[in-house]
Amino acid sequence: MAIRTYTLAMNTKPMLLKYTILCVAAFILLLICGCGSNTHKDEAAARIILEDDLGRKLELKSQPKRVFAFASSMTEMLYAVLDTSTIIARTPNDDYPAAVYSKPIVSNYPVDYEQVLQLKPDLIFTVEGITPLDVAERLGELGVPVYYQKYRTVEDVFTGMEKIGQIMGREKEAHYLADSLRKEVSSMAQKYKNVKQPQQVLAITWKDPIYVYGQNTIFTDKLRILGAENAVKEVFEQPYPALTREYILKLDPDVLLGGSKEKLENEFFGLYPELRKIKAYQNNRIYDPTDNLQSRPGPRIVESLRELEGFLYP
Amino acid sequence: MIGRSLYFILALLLIVVVLGLGLQVGSFEANAATIWDAIFHYDANNTTHFAILHLRLPRLLLALVVGASLAFCGYLMQAMVNNGLADPYLLGTASGASLGAVIVFFGFVPVSMAGLYLPSVFAFAGAFLVTLVVVILGYRKRQLIPSQMLLAGIAMSSLCTAMVGMLTFLSDSEGKLKSVIFWSMGSFERATWQLVAYPAVTILLALLFFAFYQKQLNILLLGSERAQAMGVKVAQTRWVIMGVVSVVTGFAVATSGPVGFVGLIIPHVTRAVMGTTGRGNLLFCAFAGGFFMLLCDLLSRVIYPPAGLPIGIITSFFGVPFFVYLLFKKNYNFRG
Repeated sequence: MAIRTYTLAMNTKPMLLKYTILCVAAFILLLICGCGSNTHKDEAAARIILEDDLGRKLELKSQPKRVFAFASSMTEMLYAVLDTSTIIARTPNDDYPAAVYSKPIVSNYPVDYEQVLQLKPDLIFTVEGITPLDVAERLGELGVPVYYQKYRTVEDVFTGMEKIGQIMGREKEAHYLADSLRKEVSSMAQKYKNVKQPQQVLAITWKDPIYVYGQNTIFTDKLRILGAENAVKEVFEQPYPALTREYILKLDPDVLLGGSKEKLENEFFGLYPELRKIKAYQNNRIYDPTDNLQSRPGPRIVESLRELEGFLYP
Repeated sequence: MIGRSLYFILALLLIVVVLGLGLQVGSFEANAATIWDAIFHYDANNTTHFAILHLRLPRLLLALVVGASLAFCGYLMQAMVNNGLADPYLLGTASGASLGAVIVFFGFVPVSMAGLYLPSVFAFAGAFLVTLVVVILGYRKRQLIPSQMLLAGIAMSSLCTAMVGMLTFLSDSEGKLKSVIFWSMGSFERATWQLVAYPAVTILLALLFFAFYQKQLNILLLGSERAQAMGVKVAQTRWVIMGVVSVVTGFAVATSGPVGFVGLIIPHVTRAVMGTTGRGNLLFCAFAGGFFMLLCDLLSRVIYPPAGLPIGIITSFFGVPFFVYLLFKKNYNFRG
């Protein structure tokens, strides 16, 4: 068919058109051949069915060999559990561990579908709330399944770690790491088991308007382990609710997290001078947690607990 | 005439009632007796008293003042361009303020400098700059041409909105987006006694000034040619209105963000109640705007405690049905 088109073109059409037609024909031919061989391979391979933390069912052609994460915390998880050669990309925000810088950057917001397809991942890991569900559905249609995890407690992170191990054929490594981290957490919990008066801690994520870590975040569980409590007791629908000055005045937290004393003096208490009445300000208990450590539920969670411990029991 | 005075008294009464109710809503339990105590027997060590006097009261007063300012400016703008669709943001104030504040939030300048909270300062500057551009574009043949200004305002607003959109899209942090929401829909949570002072003083001065100017304003509604024939200096009046509106709206927006809809709907309510050319229209408009804003703020906090829904959402939800009702009412018409 291609050859016939070619001869016909040669006799009647100018040179440029002739070559174009030839190229298109060759391309179509190539495409047909390529598709054919792929289908054969697929049918031969065994299929794996996964269910992620959101209850979404995913189908994999085989055990994934090329993966990456859409969330920085998840990238840290992958680096802790996987053979690093199976991690094929990073998002623009990923900065830990340092080895991550050697991987190509893939845009996670907005997701560049073409770029993702070009990387040919077998599976993408992400965390609830980071990747919109419709993006995951679209990627699924394009043949790239997206696996979600969600965490409410520190233990959830360790279980998540083990699940990643199972999916990627690294059960032993994942289990070993998770267990050693569990031990450290439980010894910390043991140490602060009998704290008489738990300190009330408020952690702000944004200053204008004021947003804080709510009750239903992993932060609450971290404080529980350290014998302290999230000052926000009310359970809001959002993990990070917006609060008023009056609400915070009523909470009257012992400890305030969210920035250095100088920074908060300028940007928080300068804006809301009324809040200088809270105990945390009066007793100078204001601390600046490392953002990428506290906000990422990953293998460095024990490290983040240590940092909090330093603030709570100086 | 007696009817109109009654409306004034009614508006004042309603303001006092909503103020009283508003003072009771918050995280600390407070009833009428607590509020009485907080105001007349203030105890510095009582946190509830502190919350009522230093958090709730300034907040309510800010809502009152900003509502009054926006309604007042809306009335002036509608009179100036002789069109019922005009609102105080026609000069690009709202989007200019948003852009100014967003520039600070996205880290181009520090958030505070020498004790000044820069988002508000930049919002004011943004509002002022955009208004200036709109005025320059609307200035032809040595006078302000309302239709030119309208178009220039729309164009500048679109430009600023696009820039805010671009900055938002390129943002790397979710928190910044929350600030952008605030700066596009408004809130009174940042109110302090110092903050209330700026818009309060401006609106009071503006009201006083226009008490002597109401007549010219009414004649302006007849159209610029007839107004000119009746001895009103149209060009000069437009400059005065423009200047007052830009300053009053600027302060309102810089303190509370651009709250929508109040400046559009309340002037219509005023004319429906008081007549198109009533003598006390501007004052009543300010009262009605203040009352409406107080009510919306109270509703926002009752519906969605503790922080309250962005105020712009409430003003639209409750304002639009009423506005539609007004439009269908037979005996109301923009020019009376």
